[in-house]
Amino acid sequence: MTVIETQGLTKRYGSVQAPALADLTIEVGDGVTGLVGANGAGKSTLIKLLLGLLAPTSGSATVLGHDIGRAGEQIRRAVGYMPEHDCLPPDMRCIDFVVHMGRMSGLPPAPARERAADVLRHVGLAEERYRLMGGYSTGMKQRAKLAQALVHDPELVMLDEPTNGLDPAARDDMLALVQRIGHDFGIPVLVTSHLLGELERISDHVVVLDGGQLLRSEATRTFLADTGTVLVEVTGEGDAQRRMGEALAARGLTCRPQGSLIEIDPLTVDGPSSGDDPVAAADGQDAAAAAHDRLRDLVRDTAADLDLGLVRIQARTGRLEDVFRDEVPA
Amino acid sequence: MSAQDSTGVIHDIGYRRYAGARTTRAGIIRALLLSGVLAVFGFGRSGKAKVLPFALLGMTLVPAVIQVGIMSLIGLSADLLNYSAYNAGSSFLVVLFVAAQAPVLFSRDLRSGVISLYLARPLGATAFALTRWASLVLAILAFVLTPLLVLFIGGLAAGASLREELPRVAVALAGAVLLAMLVATVSSLVASWTLRRGLAIAGSIMVLLVGLGVTAGLQEVADTEGATTLAHWAALLSPFVLVDSVQVALGDASTQFPAPADTVATGLLLLGAALVLMFLGMALLVRRYRSKGA
Repeated sequence: MTVIETQGLTKRYGSVQAPALADLTIEVGDGVTGLVGANGAGKSTLIKLLLGLLAPTSGSATVLGHDIGRAGEQIRRAVGYMPEHDCLPPDMRCIDFVVHMGRMSGLPPAPARERAADVLRHVGLAEERYRLMGGYSTGMKQRAKLAQALVHDPELVMLDEPTNGLDPAARDDMLALVQRIGHDFGIPVLVTSHLLGELERISDHVVVLDGGQLLRSEATRTFLADTGTVLVEVTGEGDAQRRMGEALAARGLTCRPQGSLIEIDPLTVDGPSSGDDPVAAADGQDAAAAAHDRLRDLVRDTAADLDLGLVRIQARTGRLEDVFRDEVPA
Repeated sequence: MSAQDSTGVIHDIGYRRYAGARTTRAGIIRALLLSGVLAVFGFGRSGKAKVLPFALLGMTLVPAVIQVGIMSLIGLSADLLNYSAYNAGSSFLVVLFVAAQAPVLFSRDLRSGVISLYLARPLGATAFALTRWASLVLAILAFVLTPLLVLFIGGLAAGASLREELPRVAVALAGAVLLAMLVATVSSLVASWTLRRGLAIAGSIMVLLVGLGVTAGLQEVADTEGATTLAHWAALLSPFVLVDSVQVALGDASTQFPAPADTVATGLLLLGAALVLMFLGMALLVRRYRSKGA
């Protein structure tokens, strides 16, 4: 199901030359969708446009079937939003605050209280909910912010940098929670981050923005497919890594040091690698698999010849960083 | 925050969807209005947030209680009950209350960033700003009407005649409503622009209390110099003087200030001008909140 659809969405602030968001056409469906981009890439602008808080300079968009220009109120009724910055009044108890926010989203008093308690338990603030939020740690504040976005049982949640300022353990918790919202709770999630590695782990679909432009919008697994490149680590006396690298190069492999590892490019496959003919395509796949095995054999033999310990041969999968490395000139 | 806080219990309980009724826009506005009034008096906030508003309310009731007490003990006449002058008389307390509590409704949302949560909810900036304003008006009304009602009811209990007192108290009540709206507009503007609570308090006290003194002085000078029109219109500088002036001109009340409006026409003009200024102030307030959404 498509929950967000934009058509040529553009936003220009004032008379600034470069638009904050340029001609963006994307579709967002169920599950967790990551919105990635550096600071200033247009992530928050996109969320504000989708909530109907900003008017687009041109283009259009629908959220849950409502037009952002005409039905801002319906959108804001059905969407939960967790902003990036601090947004909690320090002199309120968390439970009172979440109840109040539920009321502001249109819940009657009794359901608001019930759901606030429920949601706070889900985000892991059951024990601390009667404390004033001024005394909360950053992790607890992020949870409280998430709770207020969920209290009215939204049909879509937009989370702006939910892991901001969290330590690694709290970050993992938050990411697991976001994933649970998208999959177990069944609420579509649009989550932004400038840390690509985070979204790699939890999102089903990734939209990459850079400088207001759409770089890519694809299922996460296509980003993370096996690249064919192999990482090798060896151990031995003296300058083991250099000796291994030279020996590999001598055998006609393209390789380079990558930290304490050696990165080896895949062997080029001879013959038809693609085509309309299914037999040829199948041959191509077989050839690729053979090349895959041959490369590993070569590495093993080279290490044995040099009398080095082979610590690991690892397939290098793609990472979201590569999107930027490939498509953005440094 | 560590990992063990979040795991365990959470995973045992499934998420429940909500399919029940939801309130309309009017219901949301009512909820916001009520929570705003209660927040001014410290409800739904920390315990010490209740101290100041209730201490001030107690202090503003003292003169009323004393007047009623004197009346019933010594048996003085009901003329002692000067409703319409009561809030100008205790203007210092009214100003303190408003200055200290307006930031609760206006600075707090903007400063802590809660405003972005409100604006991402159905109401929208305009309705939100106006509802906040209405909350402050109602809270100030509760503050300025309570002593009047104590006077009125106490006076009746001490033997004042209902027929004589009712018109006089009605004028004072109308004046109190006008005062609450004007003072709320001034202090909400100050509070929504200063953001820091201390600054907002100092700013409101400056504008309201110093404005009151300056206006009274200005009227005195203009009056003795023979510039009566200027003296009348100077009332626009202070809500307290203005309400007094309008009460005198339209409700036949007694004045606390040097140059109240002397004709009904002047009174009406003053009232109209004050309302126009108030609407301008409210428009500014709405603009302030709309710019926050962008």
